[in-house]
Amino acid sequence: MADLLSTVLVTYAAFTIASWWVDGLDQRWVVVAMGGAAIPDLVKIEILVDADVIENAIGLPFDYSPVASVAGVTVVAGIIALCFGEQWRRTAYAVLAAAGGFSLVIDGLRVYADGFANFYLYPLWVRPPTPGLFVSSDPAVLVVAIVVSGVTFGIDRWKQ
Amino acid sequence: MRQWHRGVIVFALVALLVGMGVHYGAVEDDRWPYPDEDDLASQPAEHVGDEVFLFGTVTAIDTDAGTATIRVEADSGSFSLSVQSFDRSVKPGGIVQILGELTTERTLDAERVVVVNSSSGAEWYKYGVSVLGAVLVLLAFFRYWRIDWDTWTFEVRRDG
Repeated sequence: MADLLSTVLVTYAAFTIASWWVDGLDQRWVVVAMGGAAIPDLVKIEILVDADVIENAIGLPFDYSPVASVAGVTVVAGIIALCFGEQWRRTAYAVLAAAGGFSLVIDGLRVYADGFANFYLYPLWVRPPTPGLFVSSDPAVLVVAIVVSGVTFGIDRWKQ
Repeated sequence: MRQWHRGVIVFALVALLVGMGVHYGAVEDDRWPYPDEDDLASQPAEHVGDEVFLFGTVTAIDTDAGTATIRVEADSGSFSLSVQSFDRSVKPGGIVQILGELTTERTLDAERVVVVNSSSGAEWYKYGVSVLGAVLVLLAFFRYWRIDWDTWTFEVRRDG
């Protein structure tokens, strides 16, 4: 995936722009969206606890990949939404799931040598075609993200 | 909603997530259109002539000859492959994706090489910047939300 900072900045820009038209989507929900965009990155827990460790512990095959998929975002957004006070939960779920999905789409644009992304639409076993816009460690992605979020921040301030 | 209801639902959602991980781990090998790393590690002879798509760490490279050696991780340990038609510049320690044909048990004729990380430094860049992204999310979130320790939920900051 793209580095998390770029993902978070681009999500900030997208949801701030959306907030200009969507009633009720204010700054406090934009920051929730920034968190939601990080949901697929939870797949990196793998670095701390290897999938093999879990396989050995439960005696079954195991893969972290669903966390960075449609199914995973749907479930993890539910877990996080339950951490909010009762009156915020529905909105929190909608924002977290939308932002997590947005993050999956951004991630689906990166390069795969055969032109098809991974199974991020799981539970569907489909590899969507990818335009191959970037590789995950490309600093140019961060430059674009900083410019886009900076301009959005400026316009947002000017509008207020 | 009572506190223990929340606990039960969160527990059920985490169980669902683990269940998806098990399902994915069990099924992905059949869905992925290329031979997987474990098969190539244990029965490479059966896949000579097959098209393969691998992620590997570059251990040696000869730009003039257009060859490289990559190390591929498999469950049973890692194995090395020599790659022909390697047309990219990468430092040892860099990570590449290779699409190509397995010409002998341990030789690959690359059709397309994608550099994911051009050196091990690029990997560190990605993780460093991602940690910054996580910090940004936390700072932004807690500017607008706070933890209500009585109910163990996120609530809007009145002063935010």
